[in-house]
Amino acid sequence: MNEPKLTHEKIFPLGRDDLESVLTAALSRGGEFADIFLERRVNHVVNMEEDIIKETSESISSGLGIRVISGDMTGYGYTNDLSLARVKKVAHTAAAVAEGGKGRQVASFPSLFPKAYSYPISRPAEKARLEEKISLVKRTYQAAQRVDPKIKKVKVVFLDQSQYMIIADSEGHIVSDRRPLVKLTCSSISEQGKRREAGFFGGGGRVGLEYFSQDLTPEKIGQEAAQESLHLLEAVDPPAGEMPVVLAPGHSGVLIHEAVGHLLEADFIRKKTSVFWDKMGKEVGSHQLNIYDDPTIPTFRGSYNIDDEGTVPKPTPLIQGGKMVGLIQDKLSARLMGMPLTGHGRRQDYTCIPLPRMSNTYVDRGEYDPEEIVRSVKSGFYAHKFQGGQVEDSGKFTFSVSSGFLIEDGRLTAPVRQATLIGSNIDILTKIDKLGSDLEFGLQTGTCGKGGQSVPVNDGCPTIKIRNMTVGGRL
Amino acid sequence: MERNQTSLRGLAEDLVSYGQKFGADEVEATVFETAEFSVDVRLGRIEDLVEAGSKYIGLKVIKGKKTAYATSSDLSADTLERLVKNAVRRASCAHPDEFSGLPSLQKSETDIQELRLYDPAVPEMGPDQKISLAMETERIALAEKGITNSHGASFETKAVNTILANSNGFLDGYEETFCSLSLGLQAGETDTRAEGYWFSAQRHFEDVEAPEEVAKKAVARTLRQLGPKKIKTQFVPVLFEPMMTSWLLGFLFACVSGIAVYRKASFLADSLGERIAGENITVVDDGLLPGKLGTRPFDSEGVSTQKTTVIQKGELLSFLCNTYAARKLGLASTANADGPGVGPNNFYLQAGKDRSTEMIRSMDKGLILTRTIGHGLNPITGDISCGAFGLWIENGEICYPVSEITISGNLGEFLTNIAAIGNDLDFRTSVCGPSVLIKDVLVSGE
Repeated sequence: MNEPKLTHEKIFPLGRDDLESVLTAALSRGGEFADIFLERRVNHVVNMEEDIIKETSESISSGLGIRVISGDMTGYGYTNDLSLARVKKVAHTAAAVAEGGKGRQVASFPSLFPKAYSYPISRPAEKARLEEKISLVKRTYQAAQRVDPKIKKVKVVFLDQSQYMIIADSEGHIVSDRRPLVKLTCSSISEQGKRREAGFFGGGGRVGLEYFSQDLTPEKIGQEAAQESLHLLEAVDPPAGEMPVVLAPGHSGVLIHEAVGHLLEADFIRKKTSVFWDKMGKEVGSHQLNIYDDPTIPTFRGSYNIDDEGTVPKPTPLIQGGKMVGLIQDKLSARLMGMPLTGHGRRQDYTCIPLPRMSNTYVDRGEYDPEEIVRSVKSGFYAHKFQGGQVEDSGKFTFSVSSGFLIEDGRLTAPVRQATLIGSNIDILTKIDKLGSDLEFGLQTGTCGKGGQSVPVNDGCPTIKIRNMTVGGRL
Repeated sequence: MERNQTSLRGLAEDLVSYGQKFGADEVEATVFETAEFSVDVRLGRIEDLVEAGSKYIGLKVIKGKKTAYATSSDLSADTLERLVKNAVRRASCAHPDEFSGLPSLQKSETDIQELRLYDPAVPEMGPDQKISLAMETERIALAEKGITNSHGASFETKAVNTILANSNGFLDGYEETFCSLSLGLQAGETDTRAEGYWFSAQRHFEDVEAPEEVAKKAVARTLRQLGPKKIKTQFVPVLFEPMMTSWLLGFLFACVSGIAVYRKASFLADSLGERIAGENITVVDDGLLPGKLGTRPFDSEGVSTQKTTVIQKGELLSFLCNTYAARKLGLASTANADGPGVGPNNFYLQAGKDRSTEMIRSMDKGLILTRTIGHGLNPITGDISCGAFGLWIENGEICYPVSEITISGNLGEFLTNIAAIGNDLDFRTSVCGPSVLIKDVLVSGE
C-alpha cells in the first residue's frame, strides 16, 4: 500500500503509530468519532511607528487538540506538551464525554486521502530575510508620509504566518497542510487645526512576497491609507433616518457576511436559533441575489486546501435567485443533520473546537451599470468603506461605515464620516433592488469572530442598491 | 539550553540569564500556566466539555535600546534556545529607541494574600458540580413561559499562575482563579425573535450568582425585548444600564490609554489637565481592590499596581501608561502594562447616589439603552455610532421595546451631559460603571 506523503510530519514529535494509539484512547469509553489536530504556527511581525522600526516579534504556537464526538456531545482537550504520555492523558479526558459507552475500534492508517496541495507562491515570506520585510514596511511608511504634510502619524505592521498542521481521525483519515498567510497594513492619522482623522489600507493573503511587487505595492498601501484620512478631514456628519443606500463594491461584502453568512452557519440552523432555520428552498431576498462562500479562491485570505477537520472544501452556493439553497457545514452539524460536508469546519488554533465558519463570502455580479445605479438615487447615502459589522441570530444586524458620500440628484457629493447602518436581514435582502456588474473583493486583511475564535476571511460584492435602510448619523 | 525544569520560576530566571548570555542588555521573561474547564449545555444536554492545561512563555529583549519580542507554547530546550538567540539577533535589526527599557526595580508594599485573587475551592470543584450548575440554570429559564429557544448555559473555571522575571532583579508571581456562569436565550417566534443573556463572573465561587438569579435575569432581559417597535429619529435623554455604561467606559479607556495618546490616536491626546466631563464625573483605575476581576499585584512589567484617578470631578488628571508610553509622554507608569500594550486594571466610573427607578420616572420621553451591536467607536474623534436595543419611556413609565435604532454622538459630549449617576456600580466586569442618564442623545430610527 502506498504511504500517503505527509510533508510536514517530521516537524511533530508524534508518529503515525502514536496518533493511532491516541485515537484508540480517545474512543476507549465509547463515542462515534475522534480526531486529532496537531498544529505548529509561527508568526513574525515587524512594527514601524514614530519613524522607527520599533520592534519585531516571533510567536510560536505549538500543540494538539483532541475531540471526541458522542451523539450531539463533544469532549475536547488540548495541550502544548506533545509527549505521548501527556497526549494520551488528554485523550482520556476528552473521552469522558462518552462515559459509559463501549470502546470502539479505530480504523487504521493510512486510507489514502491527501493529494498534492499547493498555494501558488513563488517567494515564501517564511524564508525571506528580516531585512527584506523591514524594507517593505519602510516603503509603506514613507509612501504614506509623503502624501501630504497633514499626515501626522503613520503606523505600519507586517505579519507573516506559517501554519503546519496534521489532522488524523478515527475513520482512518490523515492529512496535512502548510498554510502561509501574509498581511501588510498601514494606519495613518491626519490633522488639520483641531481635527484629526484616521485612514487604513492593507493587503496580503495566502501569498508570498512576490505579491507586493505584482499585485499591491507597499507604496499603494501607504498612499491609500493616507488618502483616506485626508479625505475624512473634509467629511461632513452623516445624515440620519431611513433613506436609499448604495453600497460600494468590494468592501460592502461585510454586509452580506453579517446579514446572510453567519445565519447560514449550520450550527445556528440545527439549533433553530437562526431566523433562516425553516427557510431552506424559500425566497429570502431579491430574485437577483446569488451568494456563495468559496474557500478555494487562490491566494485569498479565507482560502485553504483542507479545512481544520481535514475536509477538502467546495465552492458553496448559499442563496440562488433569492432562494436559500445551502449551508456552511462542519462535521458535527453535517452528521447530525444528515447533510453533505462543504469543508467549512474551522478553528482559531489547537485550543479550540471546530465550528462551521465562512471563508470568502460574496454576492455575485448583477446586470446594472454601477454609475446608472447611483444616478437612479435622488437623495441618499453611499457607503464606501467599512470598519466591520455584527449580527444576532434573530437577523438584526449592523455595520459601521468609516467613510461614505451623500448622494444628491444622482451624484456623489460631500464626503461623509462615521455612520452606522442597521436593519433586519430578510427585510434588507428583499429591499435590494439593483445589483451592479462590478464584482470586487474587500481588503485582504479581514478577520471574523465567533464564539471567541478569530479566523481570516474575505468578502466581496458588486455595487448594491437598497431601497430603504436606517442610517444612524447626525441631525 | 541548560534548564531548571523543576519550577516555573526557574524557567523564567533561566530565560533571563540566557538572554543576557546571548548579548541582550535587558531581558524580561514571563511564564504562564493555565488550567481550564468549561461545559456548555443546551436544551438539557451537554454540548461541549473542555478540559485542558497549558503553558507558554513571553520574552522581551533589548540590546542597544533596540527591542524584540517573542512568545512560545513550545517549551522544549531547543526551541527556547533558538527563540532567545533569534530575538537578540532581531533586536539588532530594529532602530534604537531612547524610550525603550525595563522599569527600574522598586520595592512592593502589596500583600498578595490581601488581594484575594485565588479561591482554592475553584480547582477542587468536580466536573459533575460544574455541569449541574449549568444544567440547573438553563432548566429554570426554559420553564418560563415565553422562552422559545436557548443558546445554552455555560459554566467555566480557570486557574492561572503568572511568573515574571527581569534582568533588573525582579522575580515574583501570583496565582489567580476565575469562574463564570452564563446563559443566552431567545423568546418569540422565528421571524420576530428577541435575544437576551446574563452572566456572573468572579474570582471566588461563593461570589458567583446562583443559577436561579442568572436564569431570572436572562429571562427578564430576553422577554422585555419582545415585540419591538421602531421610533422616529430624535434627540432624547438616554438611561444607560450598568452594562452599557461599562461599554462606554471601555471606549473611554481606549481614549486615555497612553499609547493612543502618544500616537495621537485619541481625541483626548491634548486634554491633560483640562475639564473634559461634568463635575459629577470621577473615573478611577485601581489594581488593588480585593477580589475584583481586574486586580493584580503588579502589571506585566512588574510595576506595582496602584489607584490612579483618571478623571476627577470632570478634570482629566492622568493617562494610563506602561513604562514606554509614560517615558514618551514624560509621565510615570501607572502600572497598566499588559503584554506589549496597555490594559485596564479595575477601570470604573465612581457610583453616584441616584436610583435608576427614579431616573426612569424623571423622563417625560426617553430611552433605556439595554444593548448595543456593532463597532462604531472612533477614539481619534471620540465619535460614537452604534446599533442599539432599548426600552421606550413616556411619562416616566416603560412603554415598549425598540430595535433597529442607532445611537450617535461624541464621547466628549456624553461625558459632559450626564445628568444623573446611579448607586448600582457592581464590578461585574473589570471595566465598569453604574447606570447613568445622558441628556440629548441622538436616536435614529424611521
